[in-house]
Amino acid sequence: MDLYLASVLTNMTLIAFLALSAYLVLVVGEVSFGQQAFFCIGAYLTASVTALAGAHIVWGLLAGMLAGAVCALLLGFLTIRLSGLYFAISTLCFAELLRFSLLHIRFTQLIDGREIGPDGPEGFSNIRWIFEHNYAVTDFLLLAATCLLILLVLLFGLQRSHLMLAARMVGNDPVLAQSQGFNPHRYRLVFIALSGAVAGFGGGLFALFNTHIEPAMFGVMLGVHGLAYSIIGGLGTPLGPLLGVMLDIGLLESIRQLAAYRMILFGGLVALLLVFRPEGIASPRLVARLRRRWGRRRV
Amino acid sequence: MLEVRNLVKHFGGVRAVDGLDFKIKQGEVFGLIGPNGSGKSTTVNLVCGIFPPTDGEIMLGNINLGAIAPHQRVDAGVARTFQNIRLFGDLTVWQNLWVAWRDQPGQEQGWVSNWFGRSTSRRQEIQKLLEFSGLGDKADHLASNLAFGEQRRLELARAMAAKPKIILLDEPAAGMNSAEVKDLCHRVLAMKEMGMTVLLVEHVMELVMNVTDRITVLNFGRPIAQGTPLEIQNNKLVQEAYFGSSENAQGGGN
Repeated sequence: MDLYLASVLTNMTLIAFLALSAYLVLVVGEVSFGQQAFFCIGAYLTASVTALAGAHIVWGLLAGMLAGAVCALLLGFLTIRLSGLYFAISTLCFAELLRFSLLHIRFTQLIDGREIGPDGPEGFSNIRWIFEHNYAVTDFLLLAATCLLILLVLLFGLQRSHLMLAARMVGNDPVLAQSQGFNPHRYRLVFIALSGAVAGFGGGLFALFNTHIEPAMFGVMLGVHGLAYSIIGGLGTPLGPLLGVMLDIGLLESIRQLAAYRMILFGGLVALLLVFRPEGIASPRLVARLRRRWGRRRV
Repeated sequence: MLEVRNLVKHFGGVRAVDGLDFKIKQGEVFGLIGPNGSGKSTTVNLVCGIFPPTDGEIMLGNINLGAIAPHQRVDAGVARTFQNIRLFGDLTVWQNLWVAWRDQPGQEQGWVSNWFGRSTSRRQEIQKLLEFSGLGDKADHLASNLAFGEQRRLELARAMAAKPKIILLDEPAAGMNSAEVKDLCHRVLAMKEMGMTVLLVEHVMELVMNVTDRITVLNFGRPIAQGTPLEIQNNKLVQEAYFGSSENAQGGGN
C-alpha cells in the first residue's frame, strides 16, 4: 500500500476514536470541548508505560484507556450539576488546564543513551515501541483499524440496548427519562467514562504512531474537530462520527489541492449542515426511517 | 394507597399548592379538578418529584415518596403521563414501550435480559398492551409520526408498561375531540376494571364525571370540596369557583 495513503488512513482511524468519544458524550445530551484531554492522557500514559517502563503496548494501551476513563469519570463527578454551556466550558477548561500543566512536567530518564519521558513543552520523544518491534505503517494501520472495528461492533451491539435507548432519552429529555425511572446522573457518568476510555485508547495509539507527542498537539482545535465530526456525521449511528472524519480528513486534508482551503471548506460545510441538517447527516430520525424501510424488526 | 398530607408548594410568592390533603384508595379512580392555575398539575409534579414540595408529606403505601429521588419513584410504583405529550419521537412505538417496561414484581428477569433481552414472553405482553391501546398495527411506526390521539394512547400505554401501583394522568383529554374523549373514558374504565389506581387531573368534565369515584376540587391551591361526582356537580362552592357566584354574574350583567 502507498505509504501516504496508509498514513492518511491511520490518521483517520486515530481521529475516529476522538470523534467517537465526543459522540458518546453527545448521546447523553452534553457537548464536550475537552475530549482532547483524555486523548492526551491516554497518549502520555501509553508512552510512559511502553517507553519508560518498557512494557508491551497491550499494557500501554490498556493503561491509557483506563486512565482516560478514570479522569473522565472524575470530571463527570465534578461537573455533575452542570449542563449545556456550563458543562462545555468546564470540559474546555479541564483540557486547557491539563495542557498547561504538562508544560511543566518533566520526568526524563536516560534509557539506551536516549532521554525518554515527558519533558515539558519539548514533549515526549522516542516512543519507539513499534519501530523496535518492526511494525510497518501498514501493520500499525491494521492494528488500529482492527481496534476501531472492535469498538464499532461493541457500539453497534449497544445501539439498540436498553442502556443506549435510556441514555439517549436522558440526552433528549431528562425529565422524561427521570419519569421512566432512569437516573440521569448515572447515565451521564457511565457515558462520560466510556468516552474517556475511548479517547484514552485512541490517544495511546496516536502516541505509538507518532513516536513523539507534545502538549501543543492536544490544543482546543483537536477537540473541536472531534466534536465537529460527530455533529456533522450525525448521532443516529456510530458510523456518523466516522462519516465526519472521512469528509474532513479523507476528503479535505489529504487531497493536496484541497488541503490549502481545508479550514474554509470545512467551516463552510459545518455552517451549511447546521442550517440544512442540524442533526447531522446520519441523524437519529434518518437512521430510524432507514431501519424501518429495510424491514429490520423492532428492538 | 396514595396519601397526601398538608402538601404545600410555593413558587416565590405564588402559593401554587397550599395545604392539600387527600387519600386515594386501592383500585380507585380519583379526580383532581379545578380552574386553571389551581395547582392540579403542580400536585402531579410534586408526587413524581419534578420539584420538591415546600412542605407536607406524600406517602405511597408506607413509602415516603418525598424521601426518594424522582427516578426511584417509578420503582416505588408511580407512573405518569404528561399534559404536553412527551414521547421519544425517534424511537418506534414498540421501543417506547420496551424502554419503559418493568416486569411484574416477583417476575423480574436479570439485567442482561433487561438491557439486551427481547424475551418472547415480554414481546407478547408488550403486544398485548399495544392491542389494548389500539396501537396493535402501529408497533413499528416512529412515535413522532403518530396522530395526536395515538400519541396520547401511547403515553398511556407507556405509563401502564411500568407496572405502577398508581398512574397519574395529567390532563389526558386535553386537545381531544368528543369521540376521542369517549374512547378515553372506556380506556380509563377498563384500567379501573384491571384493578389499577388512577389519579386523574382533568378539565374535561365529560371524562371526570364518567370515570371517577371521588373528586377533590382545588381553587388557588386549596381544596374547596371533596365527594362523589354527583355531590361535586351540585356543590355551590364548586359552581362559584368555576362560573363565579350568581351575584357577580348579575352585577356584571348590569
